[in-house]
Amino acid sequence: MDKISRRQFLGMSTKVGAATMFTGILAPSATSFFGLGGVSHAGTRKISEFNFAILTDAHLYNIADHKFDHILEKAVADVNGLANKPDFVLYGGDLGQSGKKEELAKGKKILDKLTVPYKIIPGEHDYYLDMGAEWRGMFGPEHWSFDHKGVHFIGMNSILIKDFWTARGLTPVERMGLLEELECHQCGAWGVGEAQLEWLKADVKKLSPDTPVVIMTHSPLWDYYPRWNFQTLDAPEIRAILKKFEKVIAIHGHVHQVVYNKIGNIHSAGLLSTSWPWPYPPVTLPHPDIKMNRVDPGNFEDGLGTHQVSLSTDFAGMVNYRAFADLLPANVKRGLKL
Amino acid sequence: MHTSKLVLVAFTALGVISLTTLTYAKSPRTEKQIADENKALTDVVAKGDALWHNGGLGTNGLACANCHPDGSASNPHTWPKFQTNLGKVGTMRDMVNWCIAVPMQGKPLALDSDELIALEAYATYTHRGVAIAPAKDEQHGAVPVKSGPGYP
Repeated sequence: MDKISRRQFLGMSTKVGAATMFTGILAPSATSFFGLGGVSHAGTRKISEFNFAILTDAHLYNIADHKFDHILEKAVADVNGLANKPDFVLYGGDLGQSGKKEELAKGKKILDKLTVPYKIIPGEHDYYLDMGAEWRGMFGPEHWSFDHKGVHFIGMNSILIKDFWTARGLTPVERMGLLEELECHQCGAWGVGEAQLEWLKADVKKLSPDTPVVIMTHSPLWDYYPRWNFQTLDAPEIRAILKKFEKVIAIHGHVHQVVYNKIGNIHSAGLLSTSWPWPYPPVTLPHPDIKMNRVDPGNFEDGLGTHQVSLSTDFAGMVNYRAFADLLPANVKRGLKL
Repeated sequence: MHTSKLVLVAFTALGVISLTTLTYAKSPRTEKQIADENKALTDVVAKGDALWHNGGLGTNGLACANCHPDGSASNPHTWPKFQTNLGKVGTMRDMVNWCIAVPMQGKPLALDSDELIALEAYATYTHRGVAIAPAKDEQHGAVPVKSGPGYP
């Protein structure tokens, strides 16, 4: 991360800046809906404006020339082609589908084509064949933090489940097979676990409350639909640890859809995958007006895409969902304020 | 007022009489029969569940459940309808076969096969209670499930 060049220090492009203004001036309903309206946040210290990109949920199979390989290739090319070059890329987990070495190696090979550095966290599909051994071998620690232009970035492994396999005598392949089902009712709820909570406490201990914080986890840090593990078991503890900060932007994969929620100082946004879109779960959405359109099952790129997140000097965030097909409602196309 | 009250009483009386003289077209099923029939359905739903999550129906690893967890967004209550991907009015089984053939790159099942009936049974059961609405343009979630597979 410390190798980001001087050239990348340049601020937001006029395109992103225009999108921000457009939302603020011409779409007051969307703006007020998120309660931010481009107003600066008293107490959040000024940062150098910059942008980063996010990719997530490629779900690569160990099958040659698979369609998801091509979609991830396209996503990487999309990010590399951004006129307003991102400082770095975050990857939100589920690079592979069944945790196989071949899947992760194929994914790494494609991600290594990114022309900016990237940081990555694991998802359950990367993990439960060998409890993350191959993943760690390729990508390093499952949780990390770094500072960039005044913002503190945190990544954590949120998919740790209490051992349900040993007592049942499941093989690693059987365990992974169960976790491959979104609605695995035999697996239980996951979270970050005690060790990472302690690490997080120590990590943010010396940071002042005016520090802008961005946290990335695979699953949302709020109870969306626990049945599909659209949750993180110890999200309340994480939110408590991060409560001292003026504002925290939380981004998560796993849901394969546009979704937003705000709990206290935490502004959460879900991300598009590069594999398949999930339908919305049967619960009341906190912000139904940003629900993405129904997907055409005949268009294998519909519901998929990349993301560019811009942060202004006062830590106003804007997610630009770069959908590969026309599935976003107009207000989301203009960008989601965080 | 008197007249209408009398009519109401007369209808009620007739209703009671007709109920008491009702005969069944077939004998009422015993509790055991009902239990056996329900189990037969649950077994087929469970078979459908297993197939729904089985990437073996296709050739690229994908299963129905990749895009349709808990049967969500399969919209069993909206069939038959004109479906753009089919290019005709089709049934849910036609659409399942389309999904097997196109996104999953597999071989379609016979329309009267046990497998296809099981897949339809699973998807339909996960939407029990949703009003039948042929061609209704909506994506419906499955019945919310707190725990377990979603059926008895």
